Amino acid sequence: MSGSKQSAEPSAVVMPPLGAQTPDVPTEQDLLAQARQRAALAGEITTELAGSLNLRRTILRLFSLITPDLADWAMLAMVDHRGDQLALYGGKEHTFATSVTRSAVEDLGVGRVLRSGQSELLHVALRDDDDYSSVADGLDSMIPHDQLRDEATSLRPADVLGLALTARGSTVGVLVIVRGAGRGFPDEDVALAEQVAGRAAMALDSARLYEDRTRVASVLQASLRPPTLPRVARLRLSARFRAAAEHMDIGGDFYDVHGSGRDWVLVTGDVCGKGVEAAVLTGRARQSIRTAAYFDRSPHSVLAALNAVLYDEESDKFVTAVCARVRPADDGNSARVDLAAAGHPAPLVLRANGVVEQAMVGGTVAGVLPEVGYRETTVELRPGDTMLMFTDGIYEARGAAGFYGMDRLVALLPAYAGAGPDAVCEAVEQDVVEFLAGRAHDDMALLAVACGR
Amino acid sequence: MTGGVLDPVVDALARFDGALASVDVDAAVDVVERLLDDGTDAVTVLVDVIASAQRTVGDRWQRGEWTVAEEHAATAVSVSATEAVARKVRRTPATRGRVVVACAEREWHALPAMIVGTALRADGWDITLLGASTLPVRLSQYLHDLGPDATAVSCSILGALPTTRRFIEASTAAGIPVVVGGSAFGPDDRRAAALGATAWAAGAREAIAAVHALPTVVAAAPPLSSAAAAEQAAMELAHHRLVSALRDRWSLAAQIVTTDQHPLDSVHDVAADVVNQSLHAVSAALLTGDPRTVSDTATWVADLLAARSVDRSLVGELGRLLVADLRDYPLARALVEDHWTDPITTGPR
Repeated sequence: MSGSKQSAEPSAVVMPPLGAQTPDVPTEQDLLAQARQRAALAGEITTELAGSLNLRRTILRLFSLITPDLADWAMLAMVDHRGDQLALYGGKEHTFATSVTRSAVEDLGVGRVLRSGQSELLHVALRDDDDYSSVADGLDSMIPHDQLRDEATSLRPADVLGLALTARGSTVGVLVIVRGAGRGFPDEDVALAEQVAGRAAMALDSARLYEDRTRVASVLQASLRPPTLPRVARLRLSARFRAAAEHMDIGGDFYDVHGSGRDWVLVTGDVCGKGVEAAVLTGRARQSIRTAAYFDRSPHSVLAALNAVLYDEESDKFVTAVCARVRPADDGNSARVDLAAAGHPAPLVLRANGVVEQAMVGGTVAGVLPEVGYRETTVELRPGDTMLMFTDGIYEARGAAGFYGMDRLVALLPAYAGAGPDAVCEAVEQDVVEFLAGRAHDDMALLAVACGR
Repeated sequence: MTGGVLDPVVDALARFDGALASVDVDAAVDVVERLLDDGTDAVTVLVDVIASAQRTVGDRWQRGEWTVAEEHAATAVSVSATEAVARKVRRTPATRGRVVVACAEREWHALPAMIVGTALRADGWDITLLGASTLPVRLSQYLHDLGPDATAVSCSILGALPTTRRFIEASTAAGIPVVVGGSAFGPDDRRAAALGATAWAAGAREAIAAVHALPTVVAAAPPLSSAAAAEQAAMELAHHRLVSALRDRWSLAAQIVTTDQHPLDSVHDVAADVVNQSLHAVSAALLTGDPRTVSDTATWVADLLAARSVDRSLVGELGRLLVADLRDYPLARALVEDHWTDPITTGPR
């Protein structure tokens, strides 16, 4: 609390807004202060605009940065590369958005700025001082939308500035700014506005490029994301997935639940590799399993079909999977589980009394041999039992003390006897992630099922 | 007892409590769905039934009545009930903007975030829930992909406050306002303000009001006080070493007497948990400038040990061990000396 730094600064002087018409001739000190204000504004805008890659957020931030210092009112027109539209943003409400056809603005000032890449400062000639809503040439030319134009007109501006937003060789939009009555655009402010427009153009164009990519990626990604679990009568289900690339929600591990009525197929698997490439293969494997399970829900035949499809693709890709056909009894007090595995760790069954059993099931990885026969084994789930399917990312998680390991997993579970699938998945996920203590990990998937209610 | 008309919400709370205690998902979902069908609004169900009952779950563990597994099982029931509310509120279209709801790294209590998210959805916001323990890089990805109107961060454990600060940085750097809440923030907005959050909310209801009042765009959160933040970062790096040193020397293991009653909460686990929390409390005080994290944690430790019939003087012993082990961290050490309220000078040597 020394305070020396604060007291060294000049006491707060209320500065007139940039471009305000003052009765006195500005002193040298005033001019210097204004120059400082302009430089600070340009600097702030540059730094702050770099923070977002999202187009909408970048636009909102641009408006909040330039009003009211640079402009009393601002609107943005952005070219939509996917069609004949010009998107309009802002005005009095920064969140406002609409669009007009490009052909409608072709002969207007805003259209000229878009084509030429040259900014224009237009005068506003309000025809009648008492009637703001009457036609004003400059505003008409730059603001191709009735409501927005009315907003700007009500400020009774003398000029309107249409700034070309040019980035990477294209004019991607126009920033239209207006200052209210008594506040003009001196040359220095036009220069500042052009500078700001240059920086805004870069930020907006980057955000636009990012958004185009995001749109493509999110559509493709949607089918590769882990599914939402169905609500199944007489069964309780829970699942978890953590991708190796923590910022993505897709990877090489997968789980799925297919079926209807009293007959369900649960599958957990792992394709070789990780990241986007693995996710694409995951998508194919999941689709093959879904189709196979549609015709025959026996685990051995689901896995045989998966193997045949992958082998026929003549790729070097392979998949491990464990498939469980779960059939709950009518009373919901038990469920019969038929299991088969293709090179995948066998599920653990946590009995209601805390005993942990590993199902005796194993078989060859899918996609390597032309024909594989998978053997099935059967497990009975009774009230309070939970079966946990998992991928190798769980026990191969590497922490300060080496691998997490199956022993740790088996030792963790008894404490959660009877607690149900969700509690079991949560406990395992938390224990493994805390064991990692921030270290990188492979994809991890968990799928747990219990009978009843 | 006299057969008078019960307040439906109070009645539902009692039945919901019973469903949690018996880990009866169907009964819990039934209570919630019936209330909603009878016209009780979703936020009331979330706050006055589910969140309210869930508070007693934590208390039961604290008092040593429930094991961690029982706590998890009961929480899973509340999760199912919240999902039932979510299914209901999703039937009405979202009419406002979008809010991303997240839990910071080390925050494994996903339920409060789910309750807040569902309450915001009931209020008309489109919601993206990121689930338990999320890294800042994943939050950033979502913020830039979705460009939401706000970020909401739920934080119930002090150890998750450092990543919550990262979340606040990620959000405000993108200009997105961020509202925070959860028990780690304490009873007022002091910690939230210190961490640079745009707003603080005491609960789901307050979160709805807070999101309404948020500005459209915020400036990047200013840097934290450098000396305290630097010390906190250094403590974070040394965390595991500090935990094992304290755990080994603290005489809890020798004194605990009720292990038979709590076979699942071993002395080792309780000791590790307490030591962990104590260090996180000091870290949180450094980060937020709010020393109540230290005094509140000392009280929490005392209650926890009392419920397990452990000699109370062990709280003072832990305080003294902390002071000794934090010798390389002068600000942290001073915080323990001044705010670890239990008489630090008493207890076994």
